[in-house]
Amino acid sequence: MFSASALRLNIVDRPLAKGKSEVSLSAFAFLFSELVQYSQTRVSNIGELERRLEDVGRGVGLRLLETLCHRERGGKRDTRLLDVLKFVHTTLWKYLFGRQARDLEQSNAVDDEYMISDYDLFVTKYISVPKDLGTFTPAAFVAGVVKGVLDGAGFPARVSAHFVAVKGQAKPKTTILVKFEPSVLQRESRLPNT
Amino acid sequence: MVAYNIYFFNRQGTCLYYYEWHRPKSVRQGAGTSADDQKMMFGLFFSLKTFAAAMDPRQDNKSLGAPLRIGEACTFHSFCTNNYKLHFLESPSGLKIVLNTGPDAGDLRDHLNYIYGAIYVECVLKNPAYTPGRPFSCELFTARLHHYIRSLGL
Amino acid sequence: METINAEIFTLTYGSMVRQLIADLEDISAVNKQLDEMGYNIGIRLIDEFLAKSKTGKCGDFRETVDRVAKVGFRMFLNTTAAVTNWNAEGTECSLILEDNPLTDFVELPEGCQNLVYCNVLCGVIRGALEQVSINTECSFVRDVLRGSDVSELRLKLLSLNKEEYPFKDDD
Repeated sequence: MFSASALRLNIVDRPLAKGKSEVSLSAFAFLFSELVQYSQTRVSNIGELERRLEDVGRGVGLRLLETLCHRERGGKRDTRLLDVLKFVHTTLWKYLFGRQARDLEQSNAVDDEYMISDYDLFVTKYISVPKDLGTFTPAAFVAGVVKGVLDGAGFPARVSAHFVAVKGQAKPKTTILVKFEPSVLQRESRLPNT
Repeated sequence: MVAYNIYFFNRQGTCLYYYEWHRPKSVRQGAGTSADDQKMMFGLFFSLKTFAAAMDPRQDNKSLGAPLRIGEACTFHSFCTNNYKLHFLESPSGLKIVLNTGPDAGDLRDHLNYIYGAIYVECVLKNPAYTPGRPFSCELFTARLHHYIRSLGL
Repeated sequence: METINAEIFTLTYGSMVRQLIADLEDISAVNKQLDEMGYNIGIRLIDEFLAKSKTGKCGDFRETVDRVAKVGFRMFLNTTAAVTNWNAEGTECSLILEDNPLTDFVELPEGCQNLVYCNVLCGVIRGALEQVSINTECSFVRDVLRGSDVSELRLKLLSLNKEEYPFKDDD
């Protein structure tokens, strides 16, 4: 049965845009703000609120992984742990925020935890968290994006976002904490060192 | 040049934000309570606007008491007494900003516009914790506002 | 004005719609929720629009709609809408959107053919105009996701509010 849409180019045949078009940051800020407000009506505590934001971010991350690999890496996807972390720290961050992330560190205590830190992310720019929301950070959305990217690349992990106060700085930095699943580390140890 | 206090009202007359830097005469001696003080302030410029529109010598006169569309006719933007100067800004969406300063302050319209566009919009409207129509208290907004007022030399 | 990559916006919106569908399941409830969310966004967005575009009062409904279509859409979505199909009294018109960042790369699946994906835009326009005392009704009559070439929003003026003194004078 032919419909009008069959005569138009099928969605997967359309060219993938170069990714240069832009919208105002305000549009995103309002949309995000409304998303947070809506989510607050459906949860009963901060943990759930952050999880909902992470879910939204995860959907974005899964799709971004494919787009960025196709555009920036010629279709190749990293298979080693440090490479995929570098992908997040550089390529993904540059796409989202226009620059590389400030720091990428491995935790001193355990070797399956890594931290990516940065200041002044646009998702946290407009939010001044009221006291009754406690430790909530809207960067949970970014944590979700990172989780989506890692999940899509085959590196399941628990990802969370935290505000960390920095000595000597008025504003706290945002840290994305990545804790990889044991299966990832086991696989990594089986592969030869590059 | 000194800044005394600032009020933000919405169209329904709710005082969304009030801050005083310096208010030698206490509220109790004036209006009685904060709520009365705010209501009086709102009533004051509501009447002033209607009055200013009715006394306008240039346009077709709306008679005193006829309801006005927001943004219609002429609007007043400040009045000056020997002790203080009151600056007023109303947006077409009904938000009203009132700032009281010392009488020697110049025309602060551009500054009020900046407070509206760059401080109120950015810090309050985009904050998910803000419910439109209710009084707000947002740290980012307060910090930026104080910083800006201080930088004006007030 | 600060901008971000349109794709982040598109993907975030899509992710949000997916979450709504999972929460509410009923498509007409999702449409209603999108409209309400748009309304909440609109009542705040109007102040930014007024401040940044330094818009004073508009003379009449036509001018208002023109401002929304040219300046408003450009400011937030980096696209413009064409205004056509005015009715005789000048109270109803259509906004035609050829290029909509919300719908880039979106395809409605089988079970969601009734979803008005961009219903949030109707809510935004309705909310924003209400704050400047203009009551309107806004809905999609044509949608690219459902087979049309362009998206068409029908905007109807319902009434204009007058400013009233909110307190009772006998206090």
